[in-house]
Amino acid sequence: MKPLLEVRGLRKSYAGVHAVDDVSFAVVPGSITGLIGPNGSGKSTAIDCIAGFQKSDAGRVFLDGAEITGRAAHEVARAGLMRTFQTVRIYERLSLRDNLAIAAQQFDDAGWRDELLRTARYRRAVAAAEARARELIELVGLTRYAEAEAGILSYGQKKLVALAAALMPRPRIVVLDEPVAGVNPTRIRDVEAVLRQLNAAGETFLIVEHNVEFITNLCHHVIVLDQGRKLAEGTAAEIHADPRVLEAYLGIAPEADDAQRRGAA
Amino acid sequence: MKAIALLIAALAAGALPLLTDSNYILGIAVSAAIYTVAAAALNLIYGYTGLLSFAQLGFWGIGGYAAALTVMSFGGTFWQGLLWAALVNAALALAIGYPTLRTGRHAFVIVTLTFALLVNLIARDWVELTRGPLGIPGLPAPSVLGFEFHSTARFYWIAWGYAVLALGGLYALCSSRIGRTLVAIKQNEPLVRAQGISPMPYKLAAFAVSAAVTGTAGGIFAFHLRIIDPLFLDFYYMQTFLIMVIIGGAGSFWGVVAAGVALSALPEVLRFSTDFRMIIYGLVLVVAMLVMPNGIAGWLQQRRLARLRAALQ
Ligand SMILES: Nc1ncnc2c1ncn2[C@@H]1O[C@H](COP(=O)(O)OP(=O)(O)O)[C@@H](O)[C@H]1O
Ligand SMILES: [Mg+2]
Repeated sequence: MKPLLEVRGLRKSYAGVHAVDDVSFAVVPGSITGLIGPNGSGKSTAIDCIAGFQKSDAGRVFLDGAEITGRAAHEVARAGLMRTFQTVRIYERLSLRDNLAIAAQQFDDAGWRDELLRTARYRRAVAAAEARARELIELVGLTRYAEAEAGILSYGQKKLVALAAALMPRPRIVVLDEPVAGVNPTRIRDVEAVLRQLNAAGETFLIVEHNVEFITNLCHHVIVLDQGRKLAEGTAAEIHADPRVLEAYLGIAPEADDAQRRGAA
Repeated sequence: MKAIALLIAALAAGALPLLTDSNYILGIAVSAAIYTVAAAALNLIYGYTGLLSFAQLGFWGIGGYAAALTVMSFGGTFWQGLLWAALVNAALALAIGYPTLRTGRHAFVIVTLTFALLVNLIARDWVELTRGPLGIPGLPAPSVLGFEFHSTARFYWIAWGYAVLALGGLYALCSSRIGRTLVAIKQNEPLVRAQGISPMPYKLAAFAVSAAVTGTAGGIFAFHLRIIDPLFLDFYYMQTFLIMVIIGGAGSFWGVVAAGVALSALPEVLRFSTDFRMIIYGLVLVVAMLVMPNGIAGWLQQRRLARLRAALQ
């Protein structure tokens, strides 16, 4: 099948550190693809390069066949790729509803004249965004906080707000950087269900996550990075059975688990 | 409901000359109207967008000189002068903002401060244009269709009309999604970009609008004083606008408007003790900052949040 997101020979180094070293992979439309690897293996850097937050040193990126290499972050987003950040980013001083509404406003047809004159088109766009925001806030179980300032939420709850915001404009692909790090373990089950439900409705996901169970449960296809290089890829079962992957994770997996537990506490 | 309250407040303010014929009070009211508009313009770029601009002082001065020179040197009317004050400043803001805004917030502060100092220098030293320290005295009363705004009471209508217009326009801007986007840019710019929004046009537009509004306010104020000289670029004005924004609560539209009106009146209310007037004024400001570090609006917001947290426990 023609890939929705295709990365070819991506490279990025920081002052001699090869953060991403000749990485290629593809995300099939309608799939949930996992991107895993020990800490520092280059997952976040790869996302930053794909989404236009870092300039890659080499390599090409295609979204639905169109090249997006080197495009500015806002252009990549407009092309239909929404990403979240490993260190959560939300608008701390805005309400949850506003947090979500902003995420969609670039994608409706109301221009600045409509905004200043409060035209029917503007009101329609605002109403649509509000309805969608309400729906997504309910989906991540934060309805009682809808009017509250996002800053009062716990870290895990903020991660959920960031996830919901990324879903707002119904992007072609959603790229999540550690979406459940710090999220309450029972809530992780809910997030899994939500992602599966959205995926069943056609949404494509690329997910970076340390939570092995989460990745195993969700992903159709998993890519493993180690020290900036692609170590392996395949189904979750294939990855589990791969001795190279076990080796890369030995001594690191328990540590990641610890971080998980601490974050959840 | 809110719209009706605002309309009543605006009309009540407009009726001031019918209630008093004291030139002293009307003069304070002119200052209050003009300062409040300039503070609201600073609030747009600083309070909403998070860009501390000292260029406001330069815009204010250039607005004053542009309006004065249009009338005194180029044979235009006061109204044309205001138009030039707005246009020149908007163009300058774009020219300063475009290269500076991509470098970061700190560079922006430095560059805008330098700009303000530069305008100050020009006002003093470009004698052929500005007549230097002597200034340009004898600015005539504006008129429209033969109606002359020669008294303070009449001039007040101009200040009031401009305040209603400018505050109304700024409010429409700030309360729209554009205003919310400016706040979002202040709070988390990378997230804004991740959501498909390019921050640059928003920052530039906010800066240009802020410059045009401040410049026009400066133009009107110069004709209220009837003279413009380099003192018009005294840092006192910048400080006044900034204090209004900080006390009112950066990013709160009505907080800053309220602070603008209150702080214009405060030094006058304190006139009962001429010697200690400015000391008391300073003390009030310091105490206000200690009690409400985020301004009036921030303080109210804090109380609201505390209630909300309590309700959610
Ligand atoms: N901004 C940066 N400057 C310098 N080095 C960086 C920067 N970002 C990441 N790195 C380095 O690049 C490597 C990959 O980091 P990262 O992409 O964050 O890994 P991961 O997300 O897989 O944990 C690490 O060695 C990290 O120290
Ligand atoms: Mg990472």
